[in-house]
Amino acid sequence: MMRLILVVGAVVLLGLLSMAGPAAQPRADFVFINRGDVTTLDLALVSFMQDQRVARLLYEGLTRQDVFSKAHAPVPGVALRWDVSDDQRVYTFHLRDDARWSNGDSVTAGHFVWSWRRSMLPDYAGDYSSKLYLIRGAEAFARWRHRRLAEFAARADVTGDARHDAAMALWRETLEAFDQMVGVRAVDDRTLVVELERPTPYFIDLTSFPIYFPMYEPLVSAYERVDPQTARLRSRPDWTKPPALITNGPFRLVTWDFKREMRLEANTHWHGRDRLAISSVAMPTIEEPNAQVLAYVTGAVDYVTDVLPAYRGDMIAAKNAFYNEHKDLVASLRREGLDSVEIDRRLPPDPRAHIHAMPAFGTYFYNFNCRPTLGDGRPNPFADARVRRAFALAVDREAISAGVRRIGEPAAATLIPPGSIAGYASPAGLRTDPDAARALLAQAGFPQGRGLPTIEILFSPDGGHDLIAQSIARDWTRELGVDVALRTRETKVFREDLKSGRYMVCRSGWFGDYGDPTTFLDINRTGEGHNDRGYANPAYDALLDAAQNETDTSARLAILSRAEAMIVEEELPLFPIFHYAQIYLFDAHRVSGITPHPRQVQYLDLVDMLGDGVGPDVPKTMRP
Amino acid sequence: MLTLIARRLLQLPLVLAAVFALTLTLAWAIPGNPLDNPDGRRPPPEVQAALLAQYRLDSFWSFASSYAARASGTAYAWDAMTGELAREAAHAAGLGQAPPMRRVFDLGPSLQYRDRAVNEIIGAAMPVSITLGLAAIGIALVVGLTAGVIGAVRPGTLADHVTLGVALIGISLPTFVTATLLALVFCVWLAWFPVGGWGGVRPMVMPALALSLPFAAYIARLTRMGMIEQLGADYIRTARAKGLPESRVILRHALKNAFLPVLSYLGPASAMAMTGSFVVERVFSVPGMGQHFVSAVQNKDLFLIIGVVLVFSTMLILLNLLVDVLYRWVDPRIE
Repeated sequence: MMRLILVVGAVVLLGLLSMAGPAAQPRADFVFINRGDVTTLDLALVSFMQDQRVARLLYEGLTRQDVFSKAHAPVPGVALRWDVSDDQRVYTFHLRDDARWSNGDSVTAGHFVWSWRRSMLPDYAGDYSSKLYLIRGAEAFARWRHRRLAEFAARADVTGDARHDAAMALWRETLEAFDQMVGVRAVDDRTLVVELERPTPYFIDLTSFPIYFPMYEPLVSAYERVDPQTARLRSRPDWTKPPALITNGPFRLVTWDFKREMRLEANTHWHGRDRLAISSVAMPTIEEPNAQVLAYVTGAVDYVTDVLPAYRGDMIAAKNAFYNEHKDLVASLRREGLDSVEIDRRLPPDPRAHIHAMPAFGTYFYNFNCRPTLGDGRPNPFADARVRRAFALAVDREAISAGVRRIGEPAAATLIPPGSIAGYASPAGLRTDPDAARALLAQAGFPQGRGLPTIEILFSPDGGHDLIAQSIARDWTRELGVDVALRTRETKVFREDLKSGRYMVCRSGWFGDYGDPTTFLDINRTGEGHNDRGYANPAYDALLDAAQNETDTSARLAILSRAEAMIVEEELPLFPIFHYAQIYLFDAHRVSGITPHPRQVQYLDLVDMLGDGVGPDVPKTMRP
Repeated sequence: MLTLIARRLLQLPLVLAAVFALTLTLAWAIPGNPLDNPDGRRPPPEVQAALLAQYRLDSFWSFASSYAARASGTAYAWDAMTGELAREAAHAAGLGQAPPMRRVFDLGPSLQYRDRAVNEIIGAAMPVSITLGLAAIGIALVVGLTAGVIGAVRPGTLADHVTLGVALIGISLPTFVTATLLALVFCVWLAWFPVGGWGGVRPMVMPALALSLPFAAYIARLTRMGMIEQLGADYIRTARAKGLPESRVILRHALKNAFLPVLSYLGPASAMAMTGSFVVERVFSVPGMGQHFVSAVQNKDLFLIIGVVLVFSTMLILLNLLVDVLYRWVDPRIE
């Protein structure tokens, strides 16, 4: 009996003891849910939205974006000013004297050169490495290194110390090749000269993108080595974690408990330290969509970046009801030209107003497979642009955005969200027109849809794609008289089918990276890595090339607008359905600094908790 | 007893090898490119191919053999014996570079969380799952035994029906319902506990309670059945006839024997509580192991899938062994 009591007692005691542990830290000044946990803080690899958001808090590039100006204008970051040569190919950046790393060291031009070299190497193969190929010789250098690595891997005869030496020799050769081939150099600690492949008006915009941020060379290189087996550079990932990580942005990393919480504190060495209105930021990992909303409702967090529960449509409906109660005031505030967040701030406080459906820099669309034959070898009716146009004309997009999505996403007629790029005039796009659709289909040899095979729509099971597919299938059956089959594939399979062209029609979408139409238009270039449609049109490529060679900004944007018109009005390799909204939760009466600009780039160091007596406590609003 | 322990420990590597072979075969069959980021941009095809080769994801046998060698510690032992470890370290030191990170049992890098090794991920998550599981079993024992004894002492009364009914609900209601209800009532409406997180006692109470419910219910039923059976036995009548106080009869005599089925249930129950807390972890944002089971498969994060399965299997085997040993110790009649 004693033994029995001992066993039971031990289990109960262990269970209760296990409950004791270190208590949670005090609440940070600003707490937000940043989707899931961050996957990486290695700038060569940063790709996910949540990683970029944190990268902008921890690091600072040559420039930043003025996210509260309609033009989304570049403003000085580490670079105080920059000169552009007459042929618009050479940029000289003058770095500020007081740019400091979080350990107090100066940020130098050499750090940028070193970081860009590291990020463009095929050794790390970051998702965004090709964004560095704007720099003269960068792409050729990356290909050269890739070729040499492949040759090295093939030499199985070299082993032991000889292999170590050969790997190091290749590395030394790589450093020389970089100096010779790539057009970026540090003239002195404060001057960085960058030569581009060709005039690129959005290059300055890209210098505010994380792949162009600097890394602290003494830190990263200490964790890096040439792997003697493959000759590749390999990093030990522990440099991105506290206390090791050293960064140059508004905040520094204090703790990063995997899948628990990430905590930042103001970087006292940052040149803009006095402008910060918050001195600590916490990002707890809460992944379940409903739990995210509950955490907000109970006041544990101040901001949710992606509101995902199925009932979010109802939350937005409730906000619209709230707007209806203050119809006249809302109308007059809109007439004043105030931004959506400021309008909420002028209305009486109400929890229903905490949800914000912000226009995002992305579009949901359907791909047509444009290849001559389908994946299984059958002839592909969608190789004919008339058929693609007919199918696009038959779809009621309003029904999808208002009836299916219900979260305030505007129906789309264009690929690029209108108004998101300053100075760019979007084409009109197509309007729903079933009569024109039927006429076109007949012209293409399929009167009343006769002669067409069963049309298969491919989509992945999550995210409500099924409802959209059903709505589109109904339109096509009713208006065009075709048979439509819905085909669901698990996400990984779906993506493989998509890339290899094993589909007829499928759901897709795209978010822009930088403030230029090419961030959307390039995906339809012949042979481009993201051209899942297999679309190949020399006339379209020629327009993009012409834009590339045009140095006059407005003429260039006009060419690109023609190119977009070709896609969304004539050729339809894809047809836009709605522009995405980003759904936020925050109280506009309490939080300032989150921008409603359609580019949806957030610099959260601008956050100011209103009425806390810290910082200016004056709301930031959109300026013309 | 010692032979039992020795035999089980010798079996362990064999079982793990079989688990590894099965898991790898199944995980390998998941379609799709594990390095593909669904939201991201794709590096050029030749770079993607080189990356696959770097992780040995281009060939099943090459991946299987290199993984087995590193996870089992043989690669480390071999490199230590041949002096390769020392040579690598000296080479890196000579160049002022960081020596490669070598672990004895190296479960590889995570393909999804590029800044983390699988060892690190499991190292952070396992204590959480163990803690949560132990707490849940502790609560389940206290609640289940009490309810079971009350029901058995007064069978057919209101108290018995209520405990039986609650136990039935506890067993039949899926955790995602009970956990969500608990979160809603205690974390949102009453706001006694935080809705999520980890660290300290308060965030752990609700997930531990939610996780304990089905176990508590099962223990209550086991105890009640065992007690009713024992209370009708001859030796109990003798004990009562001797004039022993009723509390002593119930706690000392009847419960002792009624508890044995509960004890044998505790083994698998502890293992299940520590490894099967996925739903509770998700509802209460607990950073345990369960989430990795699911997300690793969705992301085809091969290293993480295999690593989690291997560690879970080891835990299960060791826990079962522990229970068997305890069982014999408590009840020496068992051979």
